[in-house]
Amino acid sequence: MKNFRVFKALLKIRFQNLMMFRLGFWGPFFVDGSLFLIQLVIFDAIYANVERIGSWGRGEMILYIGTFSLINAVNMAVYFFGVNGIVGKIKSGAMDLYLTKPVSPLFRLTFECMNPGSLPLLLLSGVIIGYGVRTAGIRLTWGRVLVYLFFLALMILLYYEMEVLIRSVAFYLVSNARMEQLEEMGLELCMNLPGIAFYGVYKVIFYGILPYGIMATLPVQGLLGEMSPGLALHGVGVVCVFSAITAFVWRNGMRHYNSASS
Amino acid sequence: MRKYREVMRVYLKAQLAWRADVAFSMLFTVSKVLFAWLLWGMVFRERDTVADFTFHGMLSYYIVSSFLHQLEMSRGISGEISARIRNGTLSNYLVLPVNMEGYFAAMEAGVVLFYLFFDLSAAVVWVFVFRIQLTFTHSAGLFICAMVMALMGLFFMVQLNYFLGILTLKYEEISTFLMIKDNLAALVTGSLVPLALFPEALVAGMRLLPFYYVTYLPSMLFTGRCGDEAVRGLVILGAWCVLLQGVIRVTWRKYRIKYDGVGT
Repeated sequence: MKNFRVFKALLKIRFQNLMMFRLGFWGPFFVDGSLFLIQLVIFDAIYANVERIGSWGRGEMILYIGTFSLINAVNMAVYFFGVNGIVGKIKSGAMDLYLTKPVSPLFRLTFECMNPGSLPLLLLSGVIIGYGVRTAGIRLTWGRVLVYLFFLALMILLYYEMEVLIRSVAFYLVSNARMEQLEEMGLELCMNLPGIAFYGVYKVIFYGILPYGIMATLPVQGLLGEMSPGLALHGVGVVCVFSAITAFVWRNGMRHYNSASS
Repeated sequence: MRKYREVMRVYLKAQLAWRADVAFSMLFTVSKVLFAWLLWGMVFRERDTVADFTFHGMLSYYIVSSFLHQLEMSRGISGEISARIRNGTLSNYLVLPVNMEGYFAAMEAGVVLFYLFFDLSAAVVWVFVFRIQLTFTHSAGLFICAMVMALMGLFFMVQLNYFLGILTLKYEEISTFLMIKDNLAALVTGSLVPLALFPEALVAGMRLLPFYYVTYLPSMLFTGRCGDEAVRGLVILGAWCVLLQGVIRVTWRKYRIKYDGVGT
């Protein structure tokens, strides 16, 4: 209950702050909206020349792009701008302020920079997903939709954990710019390439070590009815393992934190 | 000219301070090649050609376009100018006894010269790692045209980013616009997929724009394609450079008086 009141207060403050710069308010929507629309254009061009990529046709790929867009939309609307500030706060010593507040530092960092301007991205993603389902001619059943929503929620959590984990490295190293570069590379690759394209060592890397490859792939495979029990277990297992690692690295990092000198 | 050579030398040397940056930027060039390898690997399992590209022809295109894309490092210019106008430190550049645009062009040349060797080495490494049978032009004429076009393309991007940067004198906040520009530029320069995959009518329209000649056409020329477009491409890109230079001059003259050196 206390956390909910804090959440409401943070949202109100953030709203007032954002409304000062009206173009900036819609900025993330325009930037990320254009990114995913461009992706649609690219795959449209590819599918104008080929019928299928692996086992996926045009509709499945649109569904994949829409699902990644949806995961990203939640990220942008809720936690990205807060979590992204972790590194700067550790380096400048501003984390001190978060330690003195009667609320979990990670909770506050996660929700203090929510971006309501990104909410239209959710709508855009919904439209892309609907278009993908229609183009692919997918027969929707309650079971498949539930599997899709379950894995979507898990993957949103995984995305969040990856962001926190990568930025928590700043507790231990002087610079984590390389980690962020690695994150950017993994995300860029997997936004453009569904997990079904990975095999061998690439599958080990993008399904287990940098698990961006499963993020939109598993929900889509759930909706298509292509998901095997083994793959479902793998997805749940990866999220559990990364939850444990993130919690450990964050807690240990907070103990490691020694104010402005860290 | 000596002043600009000196600026170039300073920035070339300055890159040595960030050795890890160089190593990682070389390593991360694999991203585009890996994307092409996996995506087109799946596609070419079921067919021999796509839009006249063979599998190795397609990968050759990605190797060359990724190399050229990596060399295009002028994105920071607009951000740098914009930030300095907003915090009032553009004066640091204004007091220098050089033309500011020339300064940024020389800076870009220094950085590109430094990365040229490393990016080229990375491209060669990926050719061997992914066992790509590199398709490369045998025509000296095409090679020279592609080189000149790639250089003009780099200069055009410097001009464009400089122009966008000085627009901050009129519009306070341009960072959103810059990010959208980067997204669009990746599409229209053909660094994501070859523009030959798009419908002919659309490609015909793109031929009138400068972006077609920044990465896409030089990459096609280097891989021995589109030879008939080489000369026309140089003319069109040259015309765009001249036009943009005029626009920069007019914009600078009109809006520089708005800069008061104390931040916005």
